[in-house]
Amino acid sequence: MLLKSVEYVRPGSVDEALHLLRSNAGAAPLAGGQSLSNILKHRVASVDVLVDISSLDELREIQRRPDGSIEVGACVTYDELDRSLGVRAGHEIIARVASHIEDSQIRNRGTIGGNCCLSDPTNNLPPLLIALDATMHVRSAGGSRRVPVEEFFKGYFLTALEPGELLTSVEIPALPAGARAGYASLNVAADSKAIVRSAARVKVNEVIEEARVVLARVAPVPIRHRGMEEALVGAAPTAESVRAAADTIGEDLEPVADSHGSSEYRRQMARVVARRAVLEAIGQGGGM
Amino acid sequence: MTATATSTAGTRERTAPWSGQSVARKEDGRLVQGQGSFIDDLGMHGQGYAWFVRSPHAHARIVSVDPSRALAAEGVYAVLTGEEAKQMCEVPFFQIAPGAGARIEEWPLAVDKVRYQGDAVAVVLADTRDAARDAAELVDVDYEPLAVVVDGVAAADPGAVVLHEEAGTNVAWHGTYDYGDIDWALESADHVVRIDRLHFHRFSSTPLECNGATVNWDRGSGMVEVKSNLQMPMFAAMVIGPTLGVPINKFSFSSRDIGGAFGNKIAFYPQIAALALLSRKAGRPAKWTEYRTEHMMTSTHGNERTFLDIEVPVMGDGSILGVKVRAYDDVGAYLHYEPLGAVIWSQVVPGCYKMKHVRVDFTTTLTNKCPVSPNRGYSRMQHLWMLERIIDIVAHELGFDPVELRKRNYVQPEDYPYETPNGCVYDSGDLPRSLDIALGLAQVDFWRRRKQELGTGKGKRVGIGIGSTLDSGTNNFGQARIINPDLPFSGNGEAALAKLDLYGEVNINLGTTPQGQSHETTSAQVAADILNMSPEDVTVTVGFDQAHNSFVGFSGTYASQFAVTGLGAVMGATEKLRDQILEVGSFALEAPKEELELSSGTCMVRGDPSRSIPFIGIANLVYTNNAVLPPELRSTVDLNCRYVYVPPFAVPDAEHKTGNLTLTYASQIHVCVVEVDEETGATEIVSYAAVDDCGNRVNPRIVEGQVHGAAALGIGAALYETFDYDEEGQLEQPSFYEYHAGTALDIPDIQSGYLESPSPFTPNGAKGMGEGGGAPLHAVCAAIQDVLGKDDAVVSDSHNSSERVYELLHSADHHRARGVTVVSRPSADA
Ligand SMILES: Cc1cc2nc3c(=O)[nH]c(=O)nc-3n(C[C@H](O)[C@H](O)[C@H](O)COP(=O)(O)OP(=O)(O)OC[C@H]3O[C@@H](n4cnc5c(N)ncnc54)[C@H](O)[C@@H]3O)c2cc1C
Repeated sequence: MLLKSVEYVRPGSVDEALHLLRSNAGAAPLAGGQSLSNILKHRVASVDVLVDISSLDELREIQRRPDGSIEVGACVTYDELDRSLGVRAGHEIIARVASHIEDSQIRNRGTIGGNCCLSDPTNNLPPLLIALDATMHVRSAGGSRRVPVEEFFKGYFLTALEPGELLTSVEIPALPAGARAGYASLNVAADSKAIVRSAARVKVNEVIEEARVVLARVAPVPIRHRGMEEALVGAAPTAESVRAAADTIGEDLEPVADSHGSSEYRRQMARVVARRAVLEAIGQGGGM
Repeated sequence: MTATATSTAGTRERTAPWSGQSVARKEDGRLVQGQGSFIDDLGMHGQGYAWFVRSPHAHARIVSVDPSRALAAEGVYAVLTGEEAKQMCEVPFFQIAPGAGARIEEWPLAVDKVRYQGDAVAVVLADTRDAARDAAELVDVDYEPLAVVVDGVAAADPGAVVLHEEAGTNVAWHGTYDYGDIDWALESADHVVRIDRLHFHRFSSTPLECNGATVNWDRGSGMVEVKSNLQMPMFAAMVIGPTLGVPINKFSFSSRDIGGAFGNKIAFYPQIAALALLSRKAGRPAKWTEYRTEHMMTSTHGNERTFLDIEVPVMGDGSILGVKVRAYDDVGAYLHYEPLGAVIWSQVVPGCYKMKHVRVDFTTTLTNKCPVSPNRGYSRMQHLWMLERIIDIVAHELGFDPVELRKRNYVQPEDYPYETPNGCVYDSGDLPRSLDIALGLAQVDFWRRRKQELGTGKGKRVGIGIGSTLDSGTNNFGQARIINPDLPFSGNGEAALAKLDLYGEVNINLGTTPQGQSHETTSAQVAADILNMSPEDVTVTVGFDQAHNSFVGFSGTYASQFAVTGLGAVMGATEKLRDQILEVGSFALEAPKEELELSSGTCMVRGDPSRSIPFIGIANLVYTNNAVLPPELRSTVDLNCRYVYVPPFAVPDAEHKTGNLTLTYASQIHVCVVEVDEETGATEIVSYAAVDDCGNRVNPRIVEGQVHGAAALGIGAALYETFDYDEEGQLEQPSFYEYHAGTALDIPDIQSGYLESPSPFTPNGAKGMGEGGGAPLHAVCAAIQDVLGKDDAVVSDSHNSSERVYELLHSADHHRARGVTVVSRPSADA
């Protein structure tokens, strides 16, 4: 079969889903299916039971809290992120990034949870969520825990989730006063894979007070570039100081080479996109 | 002058003559409503589904193939291995090549050795596609990997690992084309520009539909029925017939709608042969629908060509006297249609230019890569790209304006018909004017100012490039003799059948297999003009069927020729039909033929509508009432009129490699303006114009559609699409994840314009134009060159990803060798 035969279950609640995941070693959650079904078609993973969580109401809510933070259910789709007034109110950049993921068919099905749990280094949302300092809400049949986003991505197609655990929601704090976010990528072509990406959150109060700069596709998982962050803190929010800070990106990176770009090119481009993301965050230029 | 989008008035409101008008396409109704019949829509009763077992290695000895586990799997009907297939065949596939190339033994499936990643070693037939795929994984193949050669130049080294031991070499063909006196030109020129190396990359224009076929070897009748999306089915029949021991009249090839082909659906005959044998073995039809990765890895790629040691003699005034070069065509692991690429380029030896002295030392090599076959712009595109690179490099090095240098060297409007150094005859055109129109459409004046303002160091740079190219159409197949003098091929032609059906319906059928070229529409336009009726009332048979369509050995849809050969055949056949109708009408109306005319499906006495007979009456007299007819009419009129259009070709001179190799030369002048991001090398096309001169346009909007399609494929190839192999011969772009085919978001708005310089050599003044000559590759490379500084490297590759453009921008910083030298005679310093 194109898809090897596999059992399919649609639980009625998160608890039921968790129970199914715990009692079947070969079970995997199915969210939008935009990656999982391709993985199964290519026969690179074997799954015995698909636990379809995509229509569980508990995982499909977006809550905006009085403090300006939002909690997004794991099965909220990219299209819903893009359309959500709650998201747009304080986190317009999430809507924008979601609206640029591939085509509308994928945006109608793909979910924020799936985008994170796959831990594909080319995915759009993980670097942004790291820049925004999100917290991942995780549940298992035995209980629940919160994982800081920076500890969530562990490697290629590998996350901090244990077998039987579900990501239930992603909590994104309000942007601190004076802070803004930026996002930039260099793509192969208009609607294709990214060669390198960067996301940033920068707080300015006369000088740069705080900076989170994330690079993606230069390592198995998105990484914060501490060198650039440190160089930014205390600097004036100007193009010159951002350039100088970006120049700290260099030999410390050993990006992978693939058909989309060599290691050396990625290293050079990491500087460029990181600078562009930060420039956007300080209101000095466009991202994307 | 400029084509603009005109409102689409329906055919009914228009009036004759129909040729020359953008009448609505007959094909659109079914295609836009999802009612086309594509290859996977077709099948046969009782069919099984085939899946090929393919080699993961680029080069390996096949130690053993054991199908037993696959045969035991549920739903499996049969497994055919390479060795078994060979036993069922009479002879290997016919080879076009002489000498060493002729000794190559290719069978429907790999025997003893695999020679590229994806080479098929066996094929499984099962009750579902999925079962066949599962079972294919159970065929146990033991391989002993061998050394690999992936470089088309290195493959020619005497020490290189040899793909086909029976040939004893990887050089499939070698020959020198020598016209004029290049040695004299190099000695006499004021400047000689030397370019070390130019490389035309491997890619394949992406059809929406992959290959496919359903094949049935009918035991009772011995008939082999093939429903496929081959674009030249009778060529496949001629290749596989002797191998399978099947005479042509025991084949029944047919096709319906084809979802894009671009040449890459000419040569998948090994798969057809394997399916035929599989069907014979299993006793039921075998249906195969190619998977996308299978298509990208094993279907076919375009010719990859490396040009070495280029020398260009140039005079002080910019006149380019000629070119000397060594060319290596890397054609992959087997010769499918090759080594014809080694001669096809010589249809355009001097390109658009008047250079007279040309020496090309041409070598075709075999490598452990996917076999190549024609790809839109086949073989001429590679050569024309080299010439356009030469023009821009000469301009850059010697300080000429690229527009002026082109205009100085172009064949001029008064030169036509223009004979090239190898005896080809350029029929008509006006290149300087086409270029002016293109420059205007691309708003080059505005962009030149913008380029000036921006300069360098401001983040973005503007570059402007020209691609001048020819789409030579209607081949003289006699050029194959330049490759192999023993080949019994020459000329060209296409067949059409025009008939009145039993109730007087007008029907046309052809030997062609259109893939979007709108043959139904343009044939109806041409026939309607001859019969003086509406094209809506002319039916053109959809698709091709060997059983009832008329064909010749050249039939198919390829190589920019339908407007000449196909429509020439339609005209001839319809004129014959008109004469027969008039003859019967003359009898019925008791009036001399000369006083009759046809009008909207009736034959009448001119000026006297009361004396008329409708086509149904004519058909009645011939088909169902013939005792009424006088004996001489009975024996001469059948209302089934076949005509074969044959272009006026002579056999080329194989020894001197000269002759008239193609009948028509459409020209394409493209102008491309790019904006390059200095920091990333990302290249965006901000203005693009394409001016096509294909003589008389039978349907302008269809021409424009072809221009857009060819431009989009060329732009995709120039910026995004490349097939690269690693040292082990593994394809680096086996899916759309790695191979980015240009999409609507990448392709800019194309400003298209036209000139109509009628061809004096064709029945309707039209020229073939569908391939488009690869102009975007030339224009994009030229525009990128224009972005670069004086000391930067030259654009030496036809594929320029952002990374490569970035490297070019920084090449001077790294003191990268430019690969270009200029030697000037002391007296020429002025
Ligand atoms: C052609 C194509 C191109 C694409 N290009 C891009 C791109 O450029 N950028 C990009 O960001 N994305 C891209 N995607 C991927 C798309 O965004 C996927 O939707 C995403 O990777 C997975 O989301 P999903 O909801 O479809 O998850 P699924 O495919 O259903 O699941 C993905 C994985 O995550 C697990 N999983 C899903 N949800 C949870 C959960 N709540 N808890 C625990 N585990 C979970 C699944 O078990 C599975 O292992 C592309 C997809 C396609 C088909």
